[in-house]
Amino acid sequence: MQLNAPLGTLVLAAMALPGVVRADIAPEQGLVGLRFLNYQDSQPGWKRVTVNTPSFLLVAPIGSEWGVEASASFDHVSGATPRYHSNVSGASTMDDERKAGDLKVTRYFQRASLSLGGAYSTEHDYLSRAFSLAGTWSSDDNNTTWNAGFGHAGDKIDPTGGGYDGNVADERKRTNDFIVGVTQAVTGDDLVQANLTHSRSTGYLNDPYKALDARPSERRQTALLLRWNHHFTGDGSTLRSSWRAYNDSWQVRASTLQLEWVKPVGGGVSLTPLLRYYTQSAASFYADPVYDTTLGEPYPVGWNANAFNSLDQRLSAFGAFTLGLKVQWAVDELWTVDLKGEAYQQRGEWRAGGEGSKGLEPFKARMLQVGISRKF
Amino acid sequence: MSTHPMSARAEAQADDLGFGFSAMACECEVRIAGLGRRQAEPLAREAIAEVQRIESKFSRYRDASVVSRINAAAGSGKPVEVDVETADLLDFAAQLHASSGGLFDITSGMLRQAWDFKAGRQPADGQLAQLLPRVGWQRLRWQRRGPGQVGRIELPMAGMELDFGGFGKEYAADRAATLLQSRGVRHGMVNLGGDIRLIGPRPDGRPWVLGVQHPRHERALIARIDLADGALATSGDYERFFEQDGVRYCHILDPRDGRPVSHWQSVSVVAPACLAAGALTTIAMLLQRDALPFLQSQNVGYLAVDEQGGIHRHELWQQGESEAAST
Repeated sequence: MQLNAPLGTLVLAAMALPGVVRADIAPEQGLVGLRFLNYQDSQPGWKRVTVNTPSFLLVAPIGSEWGVEASASFDHVSGATPRYHSNVSGASTMDDERKAGDLKVTRYFQRASLSLGGAYSTEHDYLSRAFSLAGTWSSDDNNTTWNAGFGHAGDKIDPTGGGYDGNVADERKRTNDFIVGVTQAVTGDDLVQANLTHSRSTGYLNDPYKALDARPSERRQTALLLRWNHHFTGDGSTLRSSWRAYNDSWQVRASTLQLEWVKPVGGGVSLTPLLRYYTQSAASFYADPVYDTTLGEPYPVGWNANAFNSLDQRLSAFGAFTLGLKVQWAVDELWTVDLKGEAYQQRGEWRAGGEGSKGLEPFKARMLQVGISRKF
Repeated sequence: MSTHPMSARAEAQADDLGFGFSAMACECEVRIAGLGRRQAEPLAREAIAEVQRIESKFSRYRDASVVSRINAAAGSGKPVEVDVETADLLDFAAQLHASSGGLFDITSGMLRQAWDFKAGRQPADGQLAQLLPRVGWQRLRWQRRGPGQVGRIELPMAGMELDFGGFGKEYAADRAATLLQSRGVRHGMVNLGGDIRLIGPRPDGRPWVLGVQHPRHERALIARIDLADGALATSGDYERFFEQDGVRYCHILDPRDGRPVSHWQSVSVVAPACLAAGALTTIAMLLQRDALPFLQSQNVGYLAVDEQGGIHRHELWQQGESEAAST
């Protein structure tokens, strides 16, 4: 029985009594899906990186109390990224393959769930292993759900030819992250969620292929994500809005504002346009592309070999817009096909709340994804 | 039985098994589909044991029940301590009382002492006036510190009585169905005398077809509904009644004057839990002409048959309903 309007207070009161209804129900149906993703980024006059990723997804219930989710993907990455700033001539080329897989097992209880997950990914110069533990608890009336989780990742970095400097080998990076959150059904049509995440990474955090890249060996990141989903009873559409505030110990402060509107248009088809705006300040040790007249490129003015330093465009101050559209077609009760496209552009002058970094070429990316899934 | 699962006749498959039993003074059935008999039988026994546990814990006809213990202490001045499950149900009863303007009242069962439905006799003069002062949830003392806590209840007058009959059966149907779900059953239902809680659709994914008894023709159905989950309950003026001088006196009594309600022949409600569906049908019968706005405010599916036999239904019911069968 699906009703959009909120159930009456007496119905909720009855459902809140222990053992009357099951709150956290394991996925009743399994799902297998295949996806193919194509990503390409570019700067004026230059195609940078192309990524092709086929992936496989499986969600399977085991009895009514257990569920398993697994995915595997295979990336083929080719192209080049700049050695410093957005410089085209000093690019490092790559042609790499990445294999990744993860597995999550969830145990469902009366009003709670507990998940244990593991992930593994490997490319020729990088290995990552991670595990996570997460739980949810729902209130008696199911209107409130709390969640908390912990994750650990251990990475091994062994760049080709020792990286830009030729002396980087067998480096380690460790990350611990924590999440707490709450989801509240405010009305039958409004869901709000708050999630707070904190992570701490230590070890080798440089980009080994970038020139003069020397970053602190610790990064602490904190982010607050607020979400509000509103369902319109009239046309059955849903507006999903979110705001994310982020800062880290490298003094990067960022905000993301996102709007997504899921609009059913009949015949099992729904359209989901998306608009995202992202803005960040530069890391404290990011240096603009203003080069020392004596040392020449890529040495920035005031360069100090003993200080932290990065010429990575990703650590500059910028703003970015993403426009996207997803078309999803539920062919029948079992089969679903979807097609998704996103276009992204970032520029220094689009930064909000301060000056953007100067002297960088605009950066563009586009993503196309096709997927097909079947329930079983 | 007021509601019949009809598909029992349509499909007699090896993996669609019904386990009949008697409890709470009615015919009951646990139905498990999609599993073989070897798996289904011990599960059904467990579900039936849960229904029997609830019956022996809350029936006022069992001397050892919590309800009998509370009733026996009426007027003694001593409060009775009750466990968390009983306290949850008493809190729910308090909420039903408040939300129905005092019409749903678990102290009103003793008014039936004045009505002899078998012999078809109205109360003697002054009999109701004698009983009414001992009716009223607001007269008893109910204390509980909060959810998850035990509670203390005291019936201050001798002769006051609690009766969980208004929701005990429905609660048992929900508990048994949820128990089966937690054991991995995905297809089936628990039917306690026509109060039905579904466990999931039929094994092929199609909904079950449930029929609602015609309130004036015992062997006919007035409506059918396709339902894959949730619950269906019905209250009617035909379950226990007598007629005198063309007036029907049914067993659903208004706690304010102790007299039978009229206005609806029957009310059926579809809700996510049988406990909710059952309580709402009773409140709707008691609210008489004000029933429909109340059911709409609870946003449940309903089908109500008025005194003239006219059918009033919520849109949800129309969506799910198959054509009404006449036999």
